[in-house]
Amino acid sequence: MELFGIWVAAFLTLCIYSFLYRDNPFYRFAEHLFVGISVGYGIVIAIHQGVIPLAWEPLSEAVSALWTEITGETTPEIRSALWGLFKIIPIAFGLLFFARLSPRHNWLVRYPIAILIGFGAGIAIPNMLQANIFEQTRATIEPFGAIGPFVDVPPEARLSALDIFGAILMVIGVICTLTYFFFSVEHRGPINWLSKVGIAFLMIGFGAAFGNTVMGRLALMIHRVGFLINEWIGSFGALF
Amino acid sequence: MKRQVPLALCFLFGIAMILTQFSPHSYSQAVYREVIVWGLIISPFALVLAVATLAQTHVSRIRFRSEHWQYSIVVFVGMITMVCVGVPFGPKNSVFEWLYDNVQVPMDATMFSLLAFFIASAAFRAFRARAFEATLLLIAAMIVMLGNVPVGDLFWNKLLSLIPGSDNPESWVNSFADGASRFRQWILDIPNGAARRGIILGVSLGVISQSIRIILGIERSYLGGGD
Repeated sequence: MELFGIWVAAFLTLCIYSFLYRDNPFYRFAEHLFVGISVGYGIVIAIHQGVIPLAWEPLSEAVSALWTEITGETTPEIRSALWGLFKIIPIAFGLLFFARLSPRHNWLVRYPIAILIGFGAGIAIPNMLQANIFEQTRATIEPFGAIGPFVDVPPEARLSALDIFGAILMVIGVICTLTYFFFSVEHRGPINWLSKVGIAFLMIGFGAAFGNTVMGRLALMIHRVGFLINEWIGSFGALF
Repeated sequence: MKRQVPLALCFLFGIAMILTQFSPHSYSQAVYREVIVWGLIISPFALVLAVATLAQTHVSRIRFRSEHWQYSIVVFVGMITMVCVGVPFGPKNSVFEWLYDNVQVPMDATMFSLLAFFIASAAFRAFRARAFEATLLLIAAMIVMLGNVPVGDLFWNKLLSLIPGSDNPESWVNSFADGASRFRQWILDIPNGAARRGIILGVSLGVISQSIRIILGIERSYLGGGD
């Protein structure tokens, strides 16, 4: 089975690489199979890691607890399991997504969408404030707390000249990048200069991101070619 | 009913999430956890919309015998196989794991690795230093790429070894050893970090303002058209 798996993976890898020559039936087969398999995988994970543990199991436990409660045997555990009945509400809202399939009732799909949008917006505000605004601002300013001899820090914790240069450059970069995205004033005079420096920082950032992406993709390609040479061609010995 | 109730639901859930996150009271935290679970229960159902749209597209391709319609059958074969194996037997099932390890993962990695070839042609166009900004992009990308591979440091150290006195271990030249990877790290940490931080701050302020507009019902585009 392992050998068969290697051959299947090698066949699909070669099918996809055949696109480098030109679009062809092998590539189209692999591409469509990939879409189908990925969607199927997503469905299975959504059911087994979302619907079953979060909705189905608490609800079925609550229903059996309710039955026990009706028959008269009640304990604190049974009472707490009854809270699972409230899972009917999100399940009902979730089922409203199926209204999309009916042209007459498809407006009902707005209910679960509105809940998810409100839920996401409500989570985003405190999290964005905390993780992205306060923390990023703190991290930008924090190194200045370790610049001696003006502050009371042990000599070994003081920043080197290169670190101080980096900290100053970081503040300049952040301010200039933000200025570039600040459209409430016309970019003229000093604002224009700050925004031009911001563009320079952005270009270095994009270049670094591009370089990292190229290297990441190349690493993946090396891994796939390594698989073909070592595992697939290596498996020829077991066959012939 | 068709627009006011969704707006009210959006407001209630948004406000509930904000208030409960700021309040450390045990009841508030219990509500916070429960609302998160509600969101996690509702969101998988959204997959229904995605699968319905995908199925609709491919069914119509098969029905009308559009060009390459045969491949739409492959989409359904892949999807149904994974669902038939994974839903009743779970993702830990050996057949499901075999399909994941030998079909999905290799194709995923190969699809992304294919981009290495296309990114090379994109790089050729992007790296033509026609302006100061393009030159900066080119230099940063080159340094990051060279610093990522051992040959970068090898080349740098070879250049350093050409400086007179570099064979002395006490020489100042040796403090610049492995400069390619160190310079790459500096570029990633400082100029790239500053640009990313600026973008993150800008994006976060945008997300917060948009979230407030959504919760207050000013932004309603998610409701779609109609009455």
